[in-house]
Amino acid sequence: MPPARLLLPLLALFPGVPLAAATPAYDFFICANINRNYVIGSKIETLNGVYHRTAAGAWEHLGCNDTGLTAVAFDPRDRQVVYTSALNGLWRSLDGGRTWRLCNGWDITEGRDVAVDPHAPDHVYLALPDGVAVSTDRAQTLVRREAGLPDRGKYTQAIKVDRTRAGRVFAACESGVYLTEDGAQHWRQVLPTRETVNDVQQSPHDPRVWLAVTQSAGAWLSRDGGLTWQQLPGVPTDRALYNGTFDVTNPQRLALGSWAHGVLTSEDGGATWTARNAGLPAAPRVWRVGVDPAGRLYASVVQATLFVSDDFGRTWRRDALEGSQVNSFLLLPPAAP
Amino acid sequence: MTFKPLALLMLTAAAALAQPSFEAPPPPTAPVADAGRRQADYFQRVDEVLNWRAARIDLKDPAKSLDMGAIAVLLTRNEHVDLCSQRVIALMKEPGTGPFWMFPTVCVAYAGRDRLSPEARSAIREAWRTARQLRGDTENHWVMYYASLYLMAELYPDEPAASWYSGKTSAENLAEARGFLLHWMDLTTTVGQGEYNPCHYIGEYAIPLLFLSTWSRDPEMRQRGHMMLDWLFAELANNTLNGVLRGPNSRADEGTAIERWNALTSYFCWLLFGNTPAPAGYGGWGVYFAPLAKNYQVPEVIYRLATDRPDDYVQRDRARTRRRWRYSDELSPAVYKTNYLRRDYAVGSTQGGLIDPIQTHAWDVTWAEPDPRGKHNTLFSLHPHSSPRAMQAYFSTYPEAMITAVTFEGKPSYDSPDKILGSSPFERIFQDLDTVVALYDIPPGERFPQVNGFFSKDLVNVTESPSGWIFAQGGNTYLAYRPLAPYHWIPYLHYAGGWAKEKLPVGGRLLVSPHLKNGTIVQAASAAEFPSFAAFQAAVTALPLQFSLEPVPTVRLTTLRGRQISFTHGQTPSVNGTPVDYAAWKLFEGPHLNAEVGGRRLTITHGRLERVLDFNTLTITDRVLPPAGR
Repeated sequence: MPPARLLLPLLALFPGVPLAAATPAYDFFICANINRNYVIGSKIETLNGVYHRTAAGAWEHLGCNDTGLTAVAFDPRDRQVVYTSALNGLWRSLDGGRTWRLCNGWDITEGRDVAVDPHAPDHVYLALPDGVAVSTDRAQTLVRREAGLPDRGKYTQAIKVDRTRAGRVFAACESGVYLTEDGAQHWRQVLPTRETVNDVQQSPHDPRVWLAVTQSAGAWLSRDGGLTWQQLPGVPTDRALYNGTFDVTNPQRLALGSWAHGVLTSEDGGATWTARNAGLPAAPRVWRVGVDPAGRLYASVVQATLFVSDDFGRTWRRDALEGSQVNSFLLLPPAAP
Repeated sequence: MTFKPLALLMLTAAAALAQPSFEAPPPPTAPVADAGRRQADYFQRVDEVLNWRAARIDLKDPAKSLDMGAIAVLLTRNEHVDLCSQRVIALMKEPGTGPFWMFPTVCVAYAGRDRLSPEARSAIREAWRTARQLRGDTENHWVMYYASLYLMAELYPDEPAASWYSGKTSAENLAEARGFLLHWMDLTTTVGQGEYNPCHYIGEYAIPLLFLSTWSRDPEMRQRGHMMLDWLFAELANNTLNGVLRGPNSRADEGTAIERWNALTSYFCWLLFGNTPAPAGYGGWGVYFAPLAKNYQVPEVIYRLATDRPDDYVQRDRARTRRRWRYSDELSPAVYKTNYLRRDYAVGSTQGGLIDPIQTHAWDVTWAEPDPRGKHNTLFSLHPHSSPRAMQAYFSTYPEAMITAVTFEGKPSYDSPDKILGSSPFERIFQDLDTVVALYDIPPGERFPQVNGFFSKDLVNVTESPSGWIFAQGGNTYLAYRPLAPYHWIPYLHYAGGWAKEKLPVGGRLLVSPHLKNGTIVQAASAAEFPSFAAFQAAVTALPLQFSLEPVPTVRLTTLRGRQISFTHGQTPSVNGTPVDYAAWKLFEGPHLNAEVGGRRLTITHGRLERVLDFNTLTITDRVLPPAGR
């Protein structure tokens, strides 16, 4: 298997070509909070944080027990370099999760998402409730880069780097989707919204295709690299969507997670949508959906467990991690041996 | 054994077995003039806490009875040190995460730094390497977190990054902690506290500040800690009625909102001022203040603010809201507080609107009770607001999740229509002396389209007058409550604690007015001002009052004090034709506390006594002012 640093440029060279044919294997990670009703001060009694799906299908805990992790990212050159956004801000490990450093001071808190630029892997982007912070030195230092973001309205729930070009980053904010093409030196709004954009994702099949899910405006798709967006018909707008995902094994498949609507799936590239909640708890309270490298669909149901479906939501079974709340799913090209 | 130790032992045993203050009759409230006596009384109360806590330790079962608080007490008394060491080692095998674990551990680490065994001290140090500490998300969390980190970094200086959970060196941890602490002090002394006048959370400030003022190696931080304690306790003294904190409060809970005395603030008032009964168990967290309490004593000027009230007074102050991440043009808009304190009662309010999304208590009239224990000595109304948008404004969360979460996480009433806690974006309040007008313009579709008025079990002579006024008496206070829209009554049911799963009757009623355009007027007066309750009713009924609810609620009222109030929801209120100029409000303004916005300087005055806390120069200046007229 080629190392990650070779796979990523490959993705960039053939932006329109579905990569399913290449069938690259992926590593699959989640950030999970498994302590029910944890509040500051109570004892952590379970193992929270980053889990890796092993080849045998088990969940292997990596790194630190932290109830406040929201996302994980890795340096594509060196899987030992791990970043997690968290309640305290941004944590970095240089030794595969054995030891950690809090990268920020008191003026940064409640990291919502973290992303590493595959073409500039020293560059780390951190989504914050009051904007965006950027590091250009592997998170040794962090600075605010918010020119073009509004003074107010820059609550940032998610941040994603375009894998095709260095410094091209999308921020999912309170007032819309913002794009930078110069490493966050300047931002511009590419999708205005009235309320928060809760997630933004790039298609693993076509890097020009982006999905944004929102609190009150449904889901949106861009087919031109995030410059213009079209609202997806059939996706409800009455309640918040929490996240969205593509299926790495099938370019026609997308899924959305919603507390109110549960799991919504499309198997025609987003043209039509179906609720897929049979087998999930009543009033499913879906926190996140994700798809693993084999095309299995996961739904994290708040204060229940992780559910998994082998048929893209038609039937569900309980997976492990009882009582968990998964804050993010992450697919990565496999680590170098 | 010689006679002297035996006598001491007997005295200690007697003290331990003595009736604790929280079960004793209420203390006398008259101020103690003699400084030596004041100090002796204070030290006696401190010792009472330490003796009580020590007496509850079962030495045969340390696993159950020897927690960090108990260990801190024993170390302070230099008792059972070996057992403390063993217990510390055991406790450090399962360290907690976050500020509520950090500050007790700091207390033990410092109290035991010369007494605990090397193994026990190593166990503490190792826990600070391995157990990741969560910083939390509130102002009090951060003060506890950073005060703790600061002191531990001072206790273990020059240690490498690998020896700390943060992955930072001692110097880096110290710099980060100092940076926040100075920022917080600067914010508090220029634009006010976010968690202003908290009921229970006062301990989360007072205890770390006492640690800093006592243990910091840096004399600047010791001075800052001491000055912030003075600042905090001056506000407490000035806002309490016989040692009972009343509204408004940034953060209260169901219990403290109605049984106003039953809060950690009463522990501090009892300990520092001796003017109210201590709460049961000395308020729980209070035990962490006691071991160091003799290192701090309120100056006489603050003591007298709490205990010596010859005159009525109005105090107008500013604070700020909890940090708003989104859906707001400002991060922490200003809060304008009005307090009017008299011998028999006190009236306090903010201007309304969202302040803390869950726990704000926006206004009340609270009357004095000779023994406040078990008394629901307060009257107020509110709109029971519950909304995902409010949650999202203050928390990094999703719309539905937080409401469900908070009802499981210590705030069970948040999503209840009959709750008595919380601020609303649709409430606007104006107070002039002992008159409060609260107006509500609740939009259609709001989750709980009603106004709740809390009527205590301890009110007597509740009379629904044909005039539309509801009259009642609480203690020596006459109260008149005018709902501006029709209403009905329901029993008040109560979550007895943050983790309670069901509501229980505790007496009292709720006035429920299920109308979107709404309002409440309350007028208070001392019973001594009228020959009879009937005379009070007649006086209030005769007050010129005009109000309308459409298009927005508006009130014109001449108060019992002869002042003409004009107040329309969403507009600036006026008194005697003069609009209230909120922009001109100072950080503190009144006969006792005065500070300019941005000034970093608080002047505390009582009679001829004055103390100035100046954070610009880090000085405390005491003066005795010349007699009036000289």
